[in-house]
Amino acid sequence: MAPPAADFPPPQFFARPPLSNPPLDPTPPPPPPQQLYSRPPSSMLSTPPPPIPSKAPPFASPPPFAAPHQFQGLQGPPPSHPPPPPPQAPYFGGSPAYQQQQQQPLPPPSQGYFAGIAPPLPGVAAPPGHDIADEFESLSISSAPGTAADVKVEALPRPPPDSCDTFAQPAWSNCHPRYFELTTNAIPASHSLAARWHLPLGAVIHPLAEAPPEEQVPVVDFGTSGIVRCRRCRTYINPYDKFTDGGKYFRCAICNLLNDVPMDYVCALDEQGKRRDAMDRPELSQGSVDFVAPMEYMVRPPMPPVYFFLIDVSVAAVRSGILQIAADTIKSCLDKLPGYPRTQIGFLTFDSTLHFYSLKSSLTQPQMVVLAQVDDPFLPMPDDLLVNLSESRLVVEALLDSLPSIFANNENVESALGPALEATTSIMSEIGGKLLIFQSTLPSLGVGRLKLRGQEAHVYQTDREPALRVAEDSFYKQMAAKCSKLQIGVNVYAFSEKYTDVASLGTLAKYTGGQVCYYPGFHAAVDGEKLTYDLSRDLTRETAWEAVMRIRCGKGIKYSVFHGHFMLRSSDLLALPAVDCDKAFSVQFALEDTLLTSQLAYFQVALLYTSSSGERRIRVHTAAVPIVQELSVMYKEANIGAVVGVLSRLAVEKSLNDKLENARQYVHVKMVNALREYKNMYAVKHSLIGRIIFPESLKLLPLYVLALSKSLPLRGGFMDATPDERSAAGYQMMTMSRPSLLKLLYPALIRLDEYLLQGSRGGGVDSPPQLPLTAEVLDPRGAFVTSDGQRFVLWLGNVLQPEFVAAILGPQVAHSSDLRKVPVVEQDNDLSKRFHALLAKLRKQNRWCHQQCVVVRQGESGRELQLVHSNMVEDRGAGFPSYMEWMVQIHRQVQQKI
Amino acid sequence: MVKLTVIARITDGLPLAEGMDTGLEEKELDFYKQQAKSLFKRLSHGQNQPSRMSVETGPYFFHYLIEGRVCYLTLCDRSYPKKLAFQYLEELQREFERLNHSQIETVARPYAFVKFDIFIQKTRKLYLDTRTQRNLSRLNDELYEVQQIMTRNIQEVLGVGDKLDRKLSFFSSSSSNSSSSIVSSLGFLTLFSSFAEVSQLSTRLTAESRIFSDKARDLNRQALIRKWAPVVIVLSVVLIFLFMRRSIWG
Repeated sequence: MAPPAADFPPPQFFARPPLSNPPLDPTPPPPPPQQLYSRPPSSMLSTPPPPIPSKAPPFASPPPFAAPHQFQGLQGPPPSHPPPPPPQAPYFGGSPAYQQQQQQPLPPPSQGYFAGIAPPLPGVAAPPGHDIADEFESLSISSAPGTAADVKVEALPRPPPDSCDTFAQPAWSNCHPRYFELTTNAIPASHSLAARWHLPLGAVIHPLAEAPPEEQVPVVDFGTSGIVRCRRCRTYINPYDKFTDGGKYFRCAICNLLNDVPMDYVCALDEQGKRRDAMDRPELSQGSVDFVAPMEYMVRPPMPPVYFFLIDVSVAAVRSGILQIAADTIKSCLDKLPGYPRTQIGFLTFDSTLHFYSLKSSLTQPQMVVLAQVDDPFLPMPDDLLVNLSESRLVVEALLDSLPSIFANNENVESALGPALEATTSIMSEIGGKLLIFQSTLPSLGVGRLKLRGQEAHVYQTDREPALRVAEDSFYKQMAAKCSKLQIGVNVYAFSEKYTDVASLGTLAKYTGGQVCYYPGFHAAVDGEKLTYDLSRDLTRETAWEAVMRIRCGKGIKYSVFHGHFMLRSSDLLALPAVDCDKAFSVQFALEDTLLTSQLAYFQVALLYTSSSGERRIRVHTAAVPIVQELSVMYKEANIGAVVGVLSRLAVEKSLNDKLENARQYVHVKMVNALREYKNMYAVKHSLIGRIIFPESLKLLPLYVLALSKSLPLRGGFMDATPDERSAAGYQMMTMSRPSLLKLLYPALIRLDEYLLQGSRGGGVDSPPQLPLTAEVLDPRGAFVTSDGQRFVLWLGNVLQPEFVAAILGPQVAHSSDLRKVPVVEQDNDLSKRFHALLAKLRKQNRWCHQQCVVVRQGESGRELQLVHSNMVEDRGAGFPSYMEWMVQIHRQVQQKI
Repeated sequence: MVKLTVIARITDGLPLAEGMDTGLEEKELDFYKQQAKSLFKRLSHGQNQPSRMSVETGPYFFHYLIEGRVCYLTLCDRSYPKKLAFQYLEELQREFERLNHSQIETVARPYAFVKFDIFIQKTRKLYLDTRTQRNLSRLNDELYEVQQIMTRNIQEVLGVGDKLDRKLSFFSSSSSNSSSSIVSSLGFLTLFSSFAEVSQLSTRLTAESRIFSDKARDLNRQALIRKWAPVVIVLSVVLIFLFMRRSIWG
């Protein structure tokens, strides 16, 4: 999707364009009026755009948005150069018009700023088919139901490979879209326009997203003088603040207030009104910076990283091997825990009693204290329950070594999670930190005990249905609120095969910025690798402690709703006790009553946090987006990844207080309205009978909405997923970043046998082709792998060569009838090596969770349906039609007049 | 018992390290931290401060020690032996200087030596119980003399009264034209305005108590007169009578 960099130097440092128009190239001919179309951006296509008919003169569209003087010379060549050919690369979310404007004279003012798409003049209109192809994607669909046979299924739009991981180039001095990505890169100027954009107007925010090493966020230290901020709206200094009066004042981009520049920050301006030192100061030239926070941003010294493990040691946990794996993993991570030498660590285990461990550094063996009374738990000793890791290292290791053996013969089936939580919060109350809960059974003792629910099918489709997806006991919400206040972030690891009420447990994570990991029916041999990876990632990844996040928007725009895992501390302050590089949020914006008159809208995300190394920092992401008057530009600049990111969070949130049916309907209606609005813009001009049209940027919207409706949190009804699976997947979806979400919704399907055999014959295939997700491509003679970012499913056809299976799985297990507990390990042969190399390559793209490989054989009842066919989003299933039928259905709904 | 330990640079009051957990309630902690902060402010402005001092505040004592432009401050219970508190601070000072001597003057980030909290924590634990053998022997250490260390009240040290009022006006004027530190100065404003209120209150109280004491003296006199007046009158009548009788009859 992103253009090659050589084509297209990122215009990083042209934040403040000159106010006067630079000289324009006088040579280009005046544009013929009928060619005022701007081409659709080719950003979503991996293939080059269709060749332009030779008759067509160069594009002559005026800038689609923003006043020309704002962006003149953004990256234009010197005027003496001959005009370069119009680049095909998209710019700023894909608008070629940016490049063209440098070669074209300005349009007459009467045309307005936003005449990106002008109606063709009568008599000179190009053939309609050509126009449509140029303007938007269209798909010919017979309007009669059931006669869709003339449409090729292959012609339906599908995401190109690797499109999930690529982002558009950031425009101007904006922060990289991986941190902040708007659903459309064009903010509507008025309420009425916003109302006609039926999709959410919002953004996906991923404040700590992992960046490649060459794009690390620069650190800026203002020393003791304090960070330069607007004195009214408290916006941090950013590349869009305009300096005036020889650099003595700056005008805040967000609230437009004229501020004094502090004495030691004054710098002379150059002739374009830019500061001369702008290039040397990252905060004036880049969209993302880390400020070192001075004294005023601390209420206490920066906290050390604290990890507390609350481990269920009841019989289920011991038998399934969770305890052993958890202890081993924690031990192997001790060296890699961030924040040495201040890191603190503590343990508490529980079944029907609570077990405290004194890890005093002077001891050689940890002391265990058992508290049998769980009604009103107290701490048996005042300190040494949470200790400094570097001092008590040996004791901690001794504990982790002995922990599995202590409970090896534990027959206790009870689980007193509530009391254990209460005890833990009082241990952690002084500092806060990260709390990891390993829960293997339904909490059955003391406060917060939960009962079995969601087993009756008749609850579904009634008003009682959404209650299954929220916490049953108010204890969990109160506990989450308490944790948030004490700066404790909770991560829940749930394991049980039976019902554990993930909905209730997950509440703890939901309000404390945590995550829920669910391993139904944990089996050490198969799932151990995944748990090891996930847990060590959780312990070692970049984490921001005691954080708060705030979003500031430019005049006339306000945030309306936030989605994700956090607690709102005040109306716009998100409290995040522990947030890490795998957590994303989304926000929706609303327009205030005033008309937006400026040309750009600004957004600033600020995350105040303590890094693991004990520094208080503020990560600031700033973005500017043009304000437009034209609906068509909004659609053109839409960003499918962010739209799906916000829509999915909306749908999951809706499912918490409404029936699944209504949650799916909610998204569906939004999409249909948007497409209808879009159709109505063009229907008058073109004959569109039997065609469904959609903007190039949103061509994948129907597919993703279909996939979302079939995704685990929203799929079907009672029969289609257990309540735990649904809840866990829902919690996960709320925190997912855009790439992982898109991957989950539309997994990659690869034909494995051909790829591997081809490779062994010496054919250098670097990436296997992706197949459409339909069961039709599953050839019984082949082996296929789906990768949804969470796991790999290896599907083996019935008549697949047995040698191939034996080579991949190993000769012993190849014929075993039960593939459920077969670990996929590398065998000593070429095929298997290539297979694992492929898996490793795919895993590398997706570092946030370990993709474990499970094997399914064709015709394996139940499992095949659950693992493979549920991923086949283009097929009929879960009460939803196939992709083709879905398009026909949407088309019909779009045609309907309301 | 040691409640709070802060190490700060004298030149600008920048905190360098702090002990993590304390035995104080959150609200109380904030109050005393704020006091410690203003104490550092005063120390950085003042000249010729004594290098060791104990400052009384509420039920606690601040003990501080200034060495090499760094102030080591701790908040202890009233009953905690002064001798131990200063030995504790000295121990911190030796270690802190040994570790960070070269960087103390150059750091700009607050809590730059936050790693030192491990040592603070460890040392604090040693000093928590005054009755351990180790601490008892320290207490009996004759060579260590703390008697001459001055003890003052926090209000005195922070200079309530006129000084504060002046400061208040200074702050309000400076905050109106400085744009960068509204929040911080607001914090100080509330702090100082509360001090100013206290000082006003105390001035009024002193004036009123003076009036009361005058009145009391007056009342005392009146009571005295009322008590003894009849006796004096009777006596004088008798004396006059006796005198008259003698002069008439005699």
